[in-house]
Amino acid sequence: MSLKKFSELFVDLDSSNSTNNKIEVLKNYFFSNDPIDNSWAIYLLTGKSNKRFISGRYLKNLFSQIYEYPVWLIDTCYLKVGDSAEVITLLLKNKSTSRKKELSNISLNELLSKTIPYLSKLNEEEKNLQIKNIWERLPEDYHLIFNKILTGTFRVGVSIGLITKSISKLINIDEEIISHRLMGNFKPSIDSYEFLINKNINLEELNSKPFPFLLANTIEDKIFKNSINDFQFEWKYDGIRLQLIKRSGNVSLWTRGQELVNETFPELVEKMSHIKDDFVLDGELLVWNFKEQIAFDFSLLQKRINRKSPTRSIQIKYPIIFIAYDLLEINGRDIREIKLENRRIELEKYFSKWQNKTENNISDIFKICDLIFPNDWPDALTYKEKSRENNTEGLIIKKKTSIYSSGRKKGIWWKYKVDPMQLDAVLIYAKGGSGRRAGLYTDYSFALWKDEELIKFASAYSGLTNIEIKELDKWIRKNTIEKFGPVRSLKPEMVFEISFEKIQISKRHKSGIAVRFPRITKWRKDKKINDADSLENAYELMKKIL
Amino acid sequence: MRTQQEYLIRYKDGNLYCELADIWIDPSKPVKKALITHAHFDHFTFGCEEYISTKETAILLKERVGDNIKIKTFEYGEEFKINGINISFHPSGHILGSSQIRFIFAEEKWLISGDYKLQKDETCKQCEIVKTDYLISECTFGLPIFKWDETNKIANDISKWITNSPEKTSLLFCYSLGKAQRLLNEISQTNFKGNIYSHDSIHKMNNIYKKLGIDIKDTIKIENKKKIDELKGSLILLPPSLSKGSYLKNFKNIQTAFASGWMSIRALRKRSGYDKGFAISDHADWDGILEVVKKSEAKNVFFHHGDSEAISKYLVEKESINVLFFGK
Repeated sequence: MSLKKFSELFVDLDSSNSTNNKIEVLKNYFFSNDPIDNSWAIYLLTGKSNKRFISGRYLKNLFSQIYEYPVWLIDTCYLKVGDSAEVITLLLKNKSTSRKKELSNISLNELLSKTIPYLSKLNEEEKNLQIKNIWERLPEDYHLIFNKILTGTFRVGVSIGLITKSISKLINIDEEIISHRLMGNFKPSIDSYEFLINKNINLEELNSKPFPFLLANTIEDKIFKNSINDFQFEWKYDGIRLQLIKRSGNVSLWTRGQELVNETFPELVEKMSHIKDDFVLDGELLVWNFKEQIAFDFSLLQKRINRKSPTRSIQIKYPIIFIAYDLLEINGRDIREIKLENRRIELEKYFSKWQNKTENNISDIFKICDLIFPNDWPDALTYKEKSRENNTEGLIIKKKTSIYSSGRKKGIWWKYKVDPMQLDAVLIYAKGGSGRRAGLYTDYSFALWKDEELIKFASAYSGLTNIEIKELDKWIRKNTIEKFGPVRSLKPEMVFEISFEKIQISKRHKSGIAVRFPRITKWRKDKKINDADSLENAYELMKKIL
Repeated sequence: MRTQQEYLIRYKDGNLYCELADIWIDPSKPVKKALITHAHFDHFTFGCEEYISTKETAILLKERVGDNIKIKTFEYGEEFKINGINISFHPSGHILGSSQIRFIFAEEKWLISGDYKLQKDETCKQCEIVKTDYLISECTFGLPIFKWDETNKIANDISKWITNSPEKTSLLFCYSLGKAQRLLNEISQTNFKGNIYSHDSIHKMNNIYKKLGIDIKDTIKIENKKKIDELKGSLILLPPSLSKGSYLKNFKNIQTAFASGWMSIRALRKRSGYDKGFAISDHADWDGILEVVKKSEAKNVFFHHGDSEAISKYLVEKESINVLFFGK
């Protein structure tokens, strides 16, 4: 099967915005290709091949050297395109040779298992020559894929979930089963693909299936008319929602995105497997500050999320905890239909049993969530406002008599999030974006007043609509004071409302403060720069929460 | 070296101007006398006292500005004199009637390229290579990442795009003057034999093209309340201005595409919001610009319309061509 099919698949996926369409395209691809290429396609599409054989810079220099192109010209092109592999692909169109396209029938398997790995065995001179050879002998349509794999930047808008769905449709087997099969160290091979599409489901696979998650709705005013005693109150943690399943001795960790993350958090799997009972728990995974007994920032959790098989030192540096807030199944008995308050009693009962009776100490990685008991609704509000102190996002409010149904069912669970902090700031610098936003000024820096001076306090990239981005881009080009490389300093004129989650003292910044998750929430065209906030305002905000 | 004021043609208030003849080229505001290279909206303005163009451009211009304008027309290659300057229009291959404009004064030749392309286009005259001393060239796509595919390859891609989704209505967005007619001409030579509809703004231009003897396929004017089944598997040409907003709600089960040179860049394609992009342009690509610069034998080149920095630097470094800048 030639690379042609995969190249067409890439184009189809890349030019489709519809999930259903993508699933259909993938299904057809898997249906009509051989197992080995299919396994490589899955490997590539799920981003398991992000190995960088050579850097984008190397590729650009090599092109410059072979075709006697000035590097500055390639760099100028890069500013427009935002991706080295694509720049070189586009430039290669200008350099087509009359050489025979001997590689037009190369298979995906051959490219990935032989041609590209072979490059790493060569010395620099041989390698350069070989890449040139491949460029010239490979049909133009395949250049982008080749360059992207070389530079480890092969990405297309396909999630593991889409792959799972398409395989599930292809062979008519539940997504959870496919998800389970796809987990782990997926090695491209005929065997691994055949295993994936095996129509016989074994018991272990069935046992790992999670329940559909129950999701919380945004708070509604009418809830305040009810008695406070009808509800259970918990902190809203900013972590990863997980179902922790132990059945027939096997532990599986499922995210809300139907992803099995056993390998990301092996220490949790190991500890939980010592518990004697079988169970299904619903809860939150966090990186935990054991000294202060609060969660660390989500940014620390991010250090763990995309890292499979973390080393011991990573595990120690970013210690995780699983905080259970619900028990859904115990020793084979599905208890989702009993009331929340009763499930809570069961949860507490079993938790204390496990704490006392499990050989290994489990409390350093597993606990159940603390409940909060506000006296009345204003008191609940006070708790909510305090949530920043313990690094939570607010409260989760659950009806005590509710059963565990699935989806975002109304009138059961609510999230009561703390409001973001906001300041109005002046746009002072802009920088070109990359990737999708190449060629546009999309990275912005904002400033606050300090006496008569504007001091930079935050940078933000997100929050504007595409139309606003284009409009602002135009304005930026017309109102540039100075260019420093990709950065432009701008006429102070535009005011934006910047929201953020946290504010703290920072010696690293000239402003003396650092904010977390800054984002643009409004383009305040109605405001003049003199209406923007000052650093004083920011300090006051800080005092308020301390 | 001469100062700007001493050039035959220079920038004045952001427009190209020849002081000696007191004439403007494609001015963006009303003036006494305006030479018009072609009838795209960014190349003329309402309210000039007198327009001068090719015959075809004049007809298109009247459609857009109104019948009552004062307009003088000349054939391609026909020389006329204003204040002792010899002026003539030459085909630029951009759209029907589009031209380059040559000035000759005191044995010095100037060429304003207008918008041009070298690629095949059966709906207008092929771009003519005109020898000159001074060249003022556009460089909309003045980077080497721009390299156009053969027109019929793109047309076949479009044909495949439509026929691969027979249950869908394919909306292809393109400029109503020039691009639409070129696409029609090319698509009618592909395997796609279904119905083609066009928006009123495109339909009008099609009719003018036909009146002027250009062979393009008949299209059906699109009405707002068409039956969905009727449109299945057919192609609808629409101007890009209709791609955002409520107009699309007139259709069900659609796929959209944009035909523009910018669609050769993935990031722009993704950001455009269209399902698909077809990189087809009525402007010259990098090689096209270089070819015109070289073949014109110009010793001095100016660029406008586009990022001119890179191509200017390249010509100076690699080709030792004198590239001049004039401030806007």
